[in-house]
Amino acid sequence: MAIATPRPYPVVVGHDSALYRIWVAIWKFVRTKPLGAAGAAIVIAMAFAAIFADFLAPYDAYELNQRLQFKAPTLTHWLGTDEFGRDVLTRLIYGARIALFIGLASSFIGATGGAILGVISAYLGGKTDLWLQRVMDILLAFPLLILALAIVTVLGRSLPNLILAIAIPVIPRTARIVRSSALSAKENVYVEAARAVGSTHIRVMFHHIVPNIMAPYLIVLTAQLGGAILTEASLSFLGLGTAEPTPSWGLMLSGGAPMYAEKAPWLAIFPGLVISLAVFGFNLFGDSLRDALDPKLRHRS
Amino acid sequence: MWQYIVKRLLLMIPTLIGAALVIFLLMNIIPGDVALLIIGGDQGGDINPRELAKLRTQLGLDRPLYEQFLTWLWSVVRLDFGKSLWTGAPILEEIMIRLPLTLEIAIFATIISTIIAIPLGTLAAVRQDTWVDYVVRVISIGGLAIPAFWTGILIILFLVIYFEWGPPLEYASIFQDPWENFKQLVWPIVTVGYRNAAVAARMTRSTVLETMREDYIRTAWAKGLQERVVVVKHALKNAFLPVITIIGTEIAFLIGGLVVTETVFTLNGLGRFMVDAIAHRDIPVVQTLVLFIAFSFVFVNLIVDLLYAWFDPRISYR
Amino acid sequence: MRGLKIGGLLLAIVMLVGLWGGAAALAEEKPRRGGMLRVAIAGDPPSLDMHQEQTFLVTIPFSTVYNTLVMFDPHGYPNIIGDLAKSWTVSDDKKTWTFTLHQGVTFHDGSDLTSADIKASWDKIITPPEGVVSPRKSLYQMVQSIEAPDPSTVVFRLHYASPSFLSMLAHPANFMYAKKYLDQDPNYYKQHAMGSGPFKLKEYVRGASIEMERNQKYWKQGLPYMDGIKYYIIKDDGARAKAIRADRADVEFRGFAPAEVEGITSQMGNKVTVAYPGQPAHWGIAFNVDKKPFDDERVRKAMSLALDRYDMAKTLAPLTSLDIPGGPIPPSAPWALSPEELQELPGFGKDHEANLKEAKRLLAEAGYANGFKTVLTNRSIKLPYIDMGVYLLSAWKKVGIEAEHRLEESATWSKSRASRDFELLLDPMGTSAVADPDELLVKYITGGSENWGRFSDPVVDKLFEQQKVELDEQKRIQLARDMQKEIMKKSWWLPVLWWSRAEVRSAKIRNYEPMPNHWMNRRLEDVWLAEK
Repeated sequence: MAIATPRPYPVVVGHDSALYRIWVAIWKFVRTKPLGAAGAAIVIAMAFAAIFADFLAPYDAYELNQRLQFKAPTLTHWLGTDEFGRDVLTRLIYGARIALFIGLASSFIGATGGAILGVISAYLGGKTDLWLQRVMDILLAFPLLILALAIVTVLGRSLPNLILAIAIPVIPRTARIVRSSALSAKENVYVEAARAVGSTHIRVMFHHIVPNIMAPYLIVLTAQLGGAILTEASLSFLGLGTAEPTPSWGLMLSGGAPMYAEKAPWLAIFPGLVISLAVFGFNLFGDSLRDALDPKLRHRS
Repeated sequence: MWQYIVKRLLLMIPTLIGAALVIFLLMNIIPGDVALLIIGGDQGGDINPRELAKLRTQLGLDRPLYEQFLTWLWSVVRLDFGKSLWTGAPILEEIMIRLPLTLEIAIFATIISTIIAIPLGTLAAVRQDTWVDYVVRVISIGGLAIPAFWTGILIILFLVIYFEWGPPLEYASIFQDPWENFKQLVWPIVTVGYRNAAVAARMTRSTVLETMREDYIRTAWAKGLQERVVVVKHALKNAFLPVITIIGTEIAFLIGGLVVTETVFTLNGLGRFMVDAIAHRDIPVVQTLVLFIAFSFVFVNLIVDLLYAWFDPRISYR
Repeated sequence: MRGLKIGGLLLAIVMLVGLWGGAAALAEEKPRRGGMLRVAIAGDPPSLDMHQEQTFLVTIPFSTVYNTLVMFDPHGYPNIIGDLAKSWTVSDDKKTWTFTLHQGVTFHDGSDLTSADIKASWDKIITPPEGVVSPRKSLYQMVQSIEAPDPSTVVFRLHYASPSFLSMLAHPANFMYAKKYLDQDPNYYKQHAMGSGPFKLKEYVRGASIEMERNQKYWKQGLPYMDGIKYYIIKDDGARAKAIRADRADVEFRGFAPAEVEGITSQMGNKVTVAYPGQPAHWGIAFNVDKKPFDDERVRKAMSLALDRYDMAKTLAPLTSLDIPGGPIPPSAPWALSPEELQELPGFGKDHEANLKEAKRLLAEAGYANGFKTVLTNRSIKLPYIDMGVYLLSAWKKVGIEAEHRLEESATWSKSRASRDFELLLDPMGTSAVADPDELLVKYITGGSENWGRFSDPVVDKLFEQQKVELDEQKRIQLARDMQKEIMKKSWWLPVLWWSRAEVRSAKIRNYEPMPNHWMNRRLEDVWLAEK
């Protein structure tokens, strides 16, 4: 008589299904690179909050409530309320949307712009390269925040200007890195062959060079993302970024928070906490992404 | 060696002029604004177009752009930065009032943070994977991710709630009253220096770890205390240069940190001056400050490069 | 018998105690000479010439350096007494005012102050020469000419008999300058402070402090009591409050937010006195009436109805001290509308639900059933501008009006305001003397220099002209009220909330009572400091 050995745990999915494999891969990732996994978790949480804010947030981010001003964290308002009676947790959730939107938009625009310039510079070489390089070097002489501040001064305060102000300093930083990758790609024999056959510049650039710079491009993009979020928070904190009543994290830390710090310390604590977590998460995620995508660039830390 | 120095200095000049050009173009994209701002002021009366035109000619705003740039460049070289639109005082004067404070915070923050970071990083490396290591690593990661202004706010929160702290009315110069000066500036220095300390500690830790990986080092380490001291000294020597380079790259963050920290602690320094100037659309001041910052940045990097070249004979002088 | 004796003894004891107490109290009241007053102030004065400026940053420090012709009695507001003027007479037709000056008044540089100086100063204020600005000159439109027939007499001739004339003269911004310097350069006083007042400018370090020292030769014998005054320039609101808390400053002359007041009193207890002297300023909303849809009265009315000013006051009071809904004239002044009258006007009714319904109905009738988008131009200062803006936006959202909050820094905002580059504007409007209808209501006439939205209503204009010359107090009050009602019924400009300022001062300061407006009673000539 065959003795049926009971299975030690209920099998939910078949051993070979795709879902199972993904699960195993994720688990492996978490075990081998715990920090990267933590970063990824934070990034995902933030993206989730940003996308599903309308469902997640318990209250309206803009609604003032006279009876709820300065309430400490309680069961109804987990993180308390601010000087207008608005729920802090709700504003932080919607703030994720703003931070992510501005951060992504500006780093994407900046990185893409920089990548295009880097590729053009590397590909065309000669005088164009030299001049573009010089300009990039000059732009790099300005600390990121200072350049963003200067741009905001000139353009004025509005959402598109803010995104532009944060994007512009990203351009030279990306251009530099992409250029060196593009240069090495250019040396590739396929490129010469393609040119010999008569492919246009554009075709060559797209088919041969661009694929090779995707890795550094993505790496710079994620690396700059954390910085972009921090810059937006700093600008809003200084009163030069987003304006009330927008629920932006940096804005929540300026104005009300220091003034009401004794009465309502939670106003000063929570927004800063999420900014730090977000930047932390993106930096970690970026680090592991870099490790994964390009072992050559691995930077021991 | 001298050839290298001279060459670098010469190379610096086109970068600086280029930076000045970029700043000038940036600030003057909007034509006529400066004159409009001067005339309009806070009164908000009707703007007399004749007066406006007269002022524009007076300021040289109706001359071609390149001429304006060269005039400005020439005056910059002579250290004449014009007058602030907001206060009406010469900009150089306004800068000199605030420079000592900012400089003091910057210098102390850099030096103290580096001095603290190196032993901490070394300790973390030597005691890798112990709780000491983890504590140091967590704190360093904090320095990278936590925005300087939040650190400042938290510190103030703590001081206000537990020590009934109040910001100083008048700034005490370090030469006149060092103890008062210390009391006033210790917290901004900590806030600004945190990031630098974090980065330097991480760098120290990784270079020491690298050094320790060598087999012969591990052997020496195993031999005992005497040898260990030698090993640590060797590791530190290796860490020295990278940490110096860190200072160069971190200057950018330091400057950003100064701006927000001075705002949080309401210190009358250049960082806050810049924020105020931007808030008042005081274009000449912003222009001058950005130029000043760019120059400092390039200059500090030059010093770092030279130090690097000095200490590392392997660098070729091109 | 015995009862009488004991009674007599008790009476004697009570009397002795009373006398002793009285003597002690009287002894306490004797002014002490000496001491430096430390004041915290919010910023640098844009220039030193009060005639050309509009900010307390000049009035508060420099009132100590000058005298005015007449002034509000520092111990008997709102009575007007003479400062440089010893006495005055008015002609029967009330169109000629003759002032007799005190003798022996000298400027800080030693020269005598005569009627020529008074005339020269007033001429500068009322008819400024080219290159000189005088933002308040329209207050003196009634003045036809000024004469100085002899060194101690000044005569003002008016176009019409004006009930407000004396109050306007007593305005604290009317420093009396020396003709000698005005003749050299009408802008002399922008950079120099030289007057006849109780204090002299000792040192001004921009961004740091303004220091005054006693004028030893002040023409009012025995005054001032204090040795000097130092104004510390502290731009940050929180830092100013902390200066008082840490006893590094004795007083802040403008006003603190409630959070700061709480912080100060919790730390200093009865070492400070908090006063709520009145409502110096008002915030309301100006419409650019040439931009759609604000040319439609129904839309404007709807926007007023959408604001529950009572809830707004409750919400904003703990943050900004804006706590009293009112019309264009401050609630405590005789010309103000009574609360009953207010409630009849759009936006001031107590039934907010009904108001909201009516607002939506009006919008639908005007063709905006789904609301519309607009822009609120505001100043980027948190208290009270930004906070008030946040509330307004939230309130209007409820009737479908999506307003974008455009924040501009002060200089840009002034420009947008002056050039009418706005759709909606958060408009500060205030009073700096007794709440005089001439001063306050001139804003609402066609072409009024502060009528930023540039609306024009002949009914309103007529009422202003009438009250300007109405010498009968009761009739004038009625006219002023009618004018306010007309403005508010048509919602040309939306009054919202008045600011009740909170002045915090050290208990050491004696012989000083704050006045409603923070520009006033800043000469400090007879103020003294107790030991502790």
